[in-house]
Amino acid sequence: MIQMTNVIKRFGSQTVLTDVSFTAHTSQIFGLLGPSGAGKTTIINILTNQLQADGGSHTIDAAPFETGLMLDEDGLYVRLSCLENLNLFADIYGLPRSRSKEVLESVGLQDAAKKAVSALSRGMRQRLALARAIINEPKVLFLDEPTSGLDPTTARGIHKLINGLRERGSTIFLTTHNMDEAVKLCDHVALLHKGVIVEQGVPKEICERHNAIKTVPDLEAVFFKLTGAELE
Amino acid sequence: MRSAKAIFIRQATDLFKNRLVMVQYIIFPVVAFIFTEMVAKADESIPDYMFVSMFAAIFAGMTLVATTAGVIAEDRENKSLRFLIMAGVKPHEYLLGIGGVILAASFLVSLAFALMGGFSAANFARFLTIMMLSSTASILLGASIGMLVRNQQAATAIGMPVAMILGFGPMLAMFNTTVEKIFSFFYTQQLNVVANDFTVDLTKPITIVLVNIAFLLVLFTVAYRKKGLSA
Repeated sequence: MIQMTNVIKRFGSQTVLTDVSFTAHTSQIFGLLGPSGAGKTTIINILTNQLQADGGSHTIDAAPFETGLMLDEDGLYVRLSCLENLNLFADIYGLPRSRSKEVLESVGLQDAAKKAVSALSRGMRQRLALARAIINEPKVLFLDEPTSGLDPTTARGIHKLINGLRERGSTIFLTTHNMDEAVKLCDHVALLHKGVIVEQGVPKEICERHNAIKTVPDLEAVFFKLTGAELE
Repeated sequence: MRSAKAIFIRQATDLFKNRLVMVQYIIFPVVAFIFTEMVAKADESIPDYMFVSMFAAIFAGMTLVATTAGVIAEDRENKSLRFLIMAGVKPHEYLLGIGGVILAASFLVSLAFALMGGFSAANFARFLTIMMLSSTASILLGASIGMLVRNQQAATAIGMPVAMILGFGPMLAMFNTTVEKIFSFFYTQQLNVVANDFTVDLTKPITIVLVNIAFLLVLFTVAYRKKGLSA
């Protein structure tokens, strides 16, 4: 479970998060939706103790070594190969190195195992970053814009992987500005606008509340109705 | 220790793939060899080990500071360190992993210097001891700089002048007593003294180097805790 209660964050005189509260339950995919600059990454940084909140509280029912993290900046070692990058974390977590090959296969990068990270495409790097995030089979997984800038096929592969992790009991917290992705993937979503959660709940129910179901639930229309802002 | 070993293996692999850093380790022994063979051995008034001691002191004082600062600043700049910290890696484990590889490389270079110097067995051991202690201090200083600066560019901009002051300071101290007094508190001066005079009692130089190491260790730990996650 991940819980945030009345969290406030300021950078100088600018308040970037105002009374942010939500709960992501165990084995749930929780989506935090909002445009760039809404405060999504700040929330992840606070939840992973990379930033201190100025008010409120947050809890995660997992130890640091039981969490996985995939950020927009992947932090991969560019001169090392895919396998060497994963072996480092397998060694840190005390896992057998065969686990590196397993996760590399699960993200479809087995053929690039010996390729240097510097030679990978953006999509391949993102998949490798995801492989590193799940190498320790985390109880809680944070994904910051996991499919941003990826082609639909690669994005679908990542969605499948995320669903598989949820089925195996992981709690997944993801941020996105892609409303279709949120509707397809998330059990629960929160809409964030200028540091304020303007709506939250089950995606279909939110859309029903705001009469935004046409042929499919249209979260983008809900967001626009509530904030007057476009997502991109 | 598991994390330290993992980072050691990663750093060693990375070092072999990073030719720019490799060149910095090789250049000083090569230059010392050329000077020893072409100048010192041709001139009887110059001791055979003179250029060995000189370049060894510059290597320990400069190269190690600059390369350690660069490696750590790179880890911070591309956020790799953030993922290590999130995986529970502690400051001493990170330092042992990174510093261990650089110290091992420094040992090999120091061994090459010692063999070139043609020292007696006792002086060989003295030379290696002071080189390893000074290398440890330089690695800690470089690591602290790497932690405190914003990026690799800043690591070079700050690390290089600091390394030059430390590396060339002892030479300046030979001509100026005030500079000598000031530099007597720094480990590079002690390295220079011991490497050039094999009759000097080691108690004082080793004590000063150890005090330098203790101070720099505290500096690194504070810097890691404060700046490890930011860049």
